[in-house]
Amino acid sequence: MTWVLVAVLAVPAVGAVFRSRAVAAGAAAIAFLLSVALATGRSDGGLTGPIRPWHQLDVSWVPGLNLRFHLGVDGISYPLVVLTTLLTLLCCVYLLWTDGDGTLAALLLVIEVGIVGVFLALDLVLFFVFFEIVLLPMYAVIAGWGGAGRRPAARKFVLYTLFGSVLLLVGVFVVVSRAGTADLVVLSAQHMLPADTQLAAFILLSIAFAVKSPLWPLHTWLPDAHTEAPTVGSVILAGVLLKMGTYGLLRVAVGVLPDGARRVAPVLGVLAVTAILVGGLVCLAQTELKRLIAYSSVGHMGFVLLGIATLTATGFEAALIGNVAHGIITGLLFFLAGAIKDRTHTGDLSELGGLRETAPYLSGILGYAAIASLGLPGLAGFWGEAFAVIAALRRGGPLWTVLAVLAALGGALAAAYFLRLLYRVTHGAARPAVVGIGEPVPGELVAWAPLVVLALAVGLVPALVLGVAQTAVQVMAP
Amino acid sequence: MILTQEALKLPQINYVALSPMLILFGAATVGVLVEAFAGRGRRYPVQLGLSLVSLVAALVMVVRVAHTRELTAGGAVAVDGPALFLEGTLAVLGIVALLLVAERSLEPGGPFVAVAAVTAGTEADRVQAQRRDAGTEVYPLLLFALGGMMLFVSANDLLTMFVALEVFSLPLYLMCGLARRRRLLSQEAALKYFLLGAFASAFFLFGIAMIYGYAGQINFAAIHEAIQSSTNDRILLYLGLALLAIGLLFKAAAVPFHVWTPDVYQGAPTPVTAFMAACTKVAAFGALLRVIYVAFERTAWDLRLVIGGIAVLTMVVGSVLAVTQTDIKRLLAYSSIANAGYLLVGVLAVGGNGNHDGLASSMFYLVAYGFSVVAAFGVVTLVRDADGEATHLSRWAGLGRRSPLYAGLFTFLLLAFAGIPLTSGFTSKFAVFGAALASGQAWLVVLGAITSVILAFPYLRVVVLVWLSEPGENTPTVSIPGALTSAALAIGALATLLLGIAPQPLLDLSSRAAEFVR
Amino acid sequence: MSLALWVPIVGLFTLALLFALFSVTAARFTGPHRYNRAKLDAYECGIEPTPQPIGGGRFPVKFYLTAMLFIVFDIEIIFLYPWAVSFNALGLFGFVEMLLFIGTVFVAYAYVWRRGGLDWD
Repeated sequence: MTWVLVAVLAVPAVGAVFRSRAVAAGAAAIAFLLSVALATGRSDGGLTGPIRPWHQLDVSWVPGLNLRFHLGVDGISYPLVVLTTLLTLLCCVYLLWTDGDGTLAALLLVIEVGIVGVFLALDLVLFFVFFEIVLLPMYAVIAGWGGAGRRPAARKFVLYTLFGSVLLLVGVFVVVSRAGTADLVVLSAQHMLPADTQLAAFILLSIAFAVKSPLWPLHTWLPDAHTEAPTVGSVILAGVLLKMGTYGLLRVAVGVLPDGARRVAPVLGVLAVTAILVGGLVCLAQTELKRLIAYSSVGHMGFVLLGIATLTATGFEAALIGNVAHGIITGLLFFLAGAIKDRTHTGDLSELGGLRETAPYLSGILGYAAIASLGLPGLAGFWGEAFAVIAALRRGGPLWTVLAVLAALGGALAAAYFLRLLYRVTHGAARPAVVGIGEPVPGELVAWAPLVVLALAVGLVPALVLGVAQTAVQVMAP
Repeated sequence: MILTQEALKLPQINYVALSPMLILFGAATVGVLVEAFAGRGRRYPVQLGLSLVSLVAALVMVVRVAHTRELTAGGAVAVDGPALFLEGTLAVLGIVALLLVAERSLEPGGPFVAVAAVTAGTEADRVQAQRRDAGTEVYPLLLFALGGMMLFVSANDLLTMFVALEVFSLPLYLMCGLARRRRLLSQEAALKYFLLGAFASAFFLFGIAMIYGYAGQINFAAIHEAIQSSTNDRILLYLGLALLAIGLLFKAAAVPFHVWTPDVYQGAPTPVTAFMAACTKVAAFGALLRVIYVAFERTAWDLRLVIGGIAVLTMVVGSVLAVTQTDIKRLLAYSSIANAGYLLVGVLAVGGNGNHDGLASSMFYLVAYGFSVVAAFGVVTLVRDADGEATHLSRWAGLGRRSPLYAGLFTFLLLAFAGIPLTSGFTSKFAVFGAALASGQAWLVVLGAITSVILAFPYLRVVVLVWLSEPGENTPTVSIPGALTSAALAIGALATLLLGIAPQPLLDLSSRAAEFVR
Repeated sequence: MSLALWVPIVGLFTLALLFALFSVTAARFTGPHRYNRAKLDAYECGIEPTPQPIGGGRFPVKFYLTAMLFIVFDIEIIFLYPWAVSFNALGLFGFVEMLLFIGTVFVAYAYVWRRGGLDWD
């Protein structure tokens, strides 16, 4: 099965060369099937460490730089890999029904290579390499196909991300040069770094990942980038790009530097809860559709980070399912927001009133996605938030109890702002902007349907995600 | 006083080991004769062939003597790993630069005139700028410069080093003044480079005198001994070392000895700029490494702070000023200054308890940077309008629409400069910073990483300009390059890619070579 | 090193200085003073002085070129002296090296000659 690991990366990379939308969709479809197939024949291969990849490929690449081409997939990375390939496929399919040449689709495939590579990499340097690959194509997507203020937004995105990359690079340097190896499997199994080094490296790495996730107060690039990015850009950005941050935090920062993590965890927890509350409060005051969804992402990612910060198996499970659920639901939300903005040419909530009158199906799906996002039990968004709160409660102690209570309050805020959103957008008399707009076209339905189904499926059967991840999470929790 | 008439002890000279530079000096001398006696029409093919053959021959000889590790010519020249590695680097980069120099399809008669010193704007200057069959002086000059550089990186005493410095500097001054277009700018560049270069040489020479005063010797090994045993005042040593360093850091374009770089890079004919950016850097850093770690290793600890400070200054000033540039050649000049800073980080990583990663990674960096920068300036030669090269950044807007291939190539090279993974820029920076961290220079690495982010911005700006702006009325065309430029671009880009994807062979080679003889 | 070795040299220099001062001063007081235009002009090897352009002007670069060529060949001669003095000691090696040296300078000479560096106009 090791060839599949390479193929999942190679197929989109080759597909990108053709710069054609049809080829891109085909490549994305093959990559999706291949990534699903990664789950077959899984075994822990008799490994005993915290990372037990089902399949792995380990080839020496540049020994002089401690760089090995070491790929592997396990229960933690698998759901994210499939999520990435799925969302890319949906974006490419969506693009088939739009105008324009294949460059945008090709860039999406390049981004896919980078993100999937990040999830598959089991070598720290390789991880960094893939982490960097994502930056430029994403920049180009925002700066090239975005809205009116795309240049400043793209620049802000790059500024923040490069800042994060520098810290990541220095952190990687510190870990690799002190430990003498960059192999994540080895690094996670034997914590050979002294406590102080761990602390320093963990701070570096966690700031780097916090920029990407994004964790309050490093989140300010996100609303701008989302507001200006084209629909597919927003979907990929929210759906999977942010997950590189949380995944990196879990796999690299916490996995390799548990001592550092233990010492910093309370700070992370406080910041995460702050993000939940700030995100919720800002959302209540938002008047722009995409900005609102973007800020809701800040809140949702706060739950994910809170889960990780508890450093417990429950918390990790919460983070994982929260990641996946957020990817599915926010992906869907951005598709919908894009569809609405394409039709009405405005994102202003006050001008979108009465959507239900003119486009009942569209507003119905929007309502479904919003309810899923606010964490209604039975839909995907519920599990991540509930588990994160439970994990924080179980951690015990006054700090974590307070954090859990505040996080739960923040969850309630999500209900408030999403209901406000629905009230403003779907109800009331039809405003001029929404008069005469069309219902979803086939291309959109094809792109949305899998997300709608998955939001329900993961909500009803969380074991879809947790089942594959259970062992990996159990062995990982320190 | 009676002159002794018994036979002097003549130095042993290993001619084979010295053959790379001997070949180049010989070919350059023949080139001068060709200039004197061959007919005008025949000079270009003869000079080009001669230069190419001699450079290839020099490269072959480098490979053949690759395992030599000895001092020769009475201890004046060291033929050791770093010397041979850098000689080979110089030969290869010299060949690539020569291809750019020899391109004649972009401009009738090539980008050079014959005489640098004719007053700009006069009738005589107009006449020579219109000649189609002149301007072949640049080939022997190039060979002399390369030969001098090879001697510079292998010189094992201060006087030989000084002679080599002059041998490669003088042709460079001249070559800067040979541009066919924008004569005045070119002459200004040449004069500026010459005057400041002469100052730097004087400092260097003065430094030699000081060191001689301290050690009583100019040979590196003897200086190394003297630093331990000499009872002379150490002030002489430090003063001499500082003056010596000024001379070397000037050539390396380190801040605060960098002021010439943007003007000279901008004014010089672009192929010459490419040559300087790649080869002068190799020569300057090769010599710097040798001086510091063969002669002055025992003062390395004192040096560390000073050179560390210069490295920081160089990285910060280079990258920050690059952000404000509006001319592509000046932008690349400032980026070259910043890269000198990264190389200085590598220089500082050398030494101490047998850690040769710093030396190996610095040499790797020189190769990687050399290939990328030659190719980048190669692309600059292609973007032209009626007045020659269009180097102002605003003129590059929308170039991606006009010529996706070359815009793509340039983008790739800029990404390499920015240190994006899968390019040689990433591997080389990674190697240098890794070595620096391993030798405890954490603060330099942090600053290096931060400045490389700053430096990424001007590159990104160019990329955005090229791809995302609409081509305007006055967006210049991209000329179709002749076979020579195409070859140079292909070699440069391919090396940038290969050293990004599979750098291990060269890393191995450089780490095998990373041992000075003393 | 004893300073005594330098006494004759210092003496010689003093003598020369005194002589020069004496000659110039004595001529001023003893000689006839009949000036003409040629005597008042700048001394240029007895050649009619070139008229200077207004405002000081520039010398043609040719003068410098000639001066530089002179220095190159002058240095060559200077380099030949020590070799000639220790010719026996240096033997065949020195002879070949010197031939190479002269040869290289000759190449430069040939270049200057063929490319018109020796023509005044």
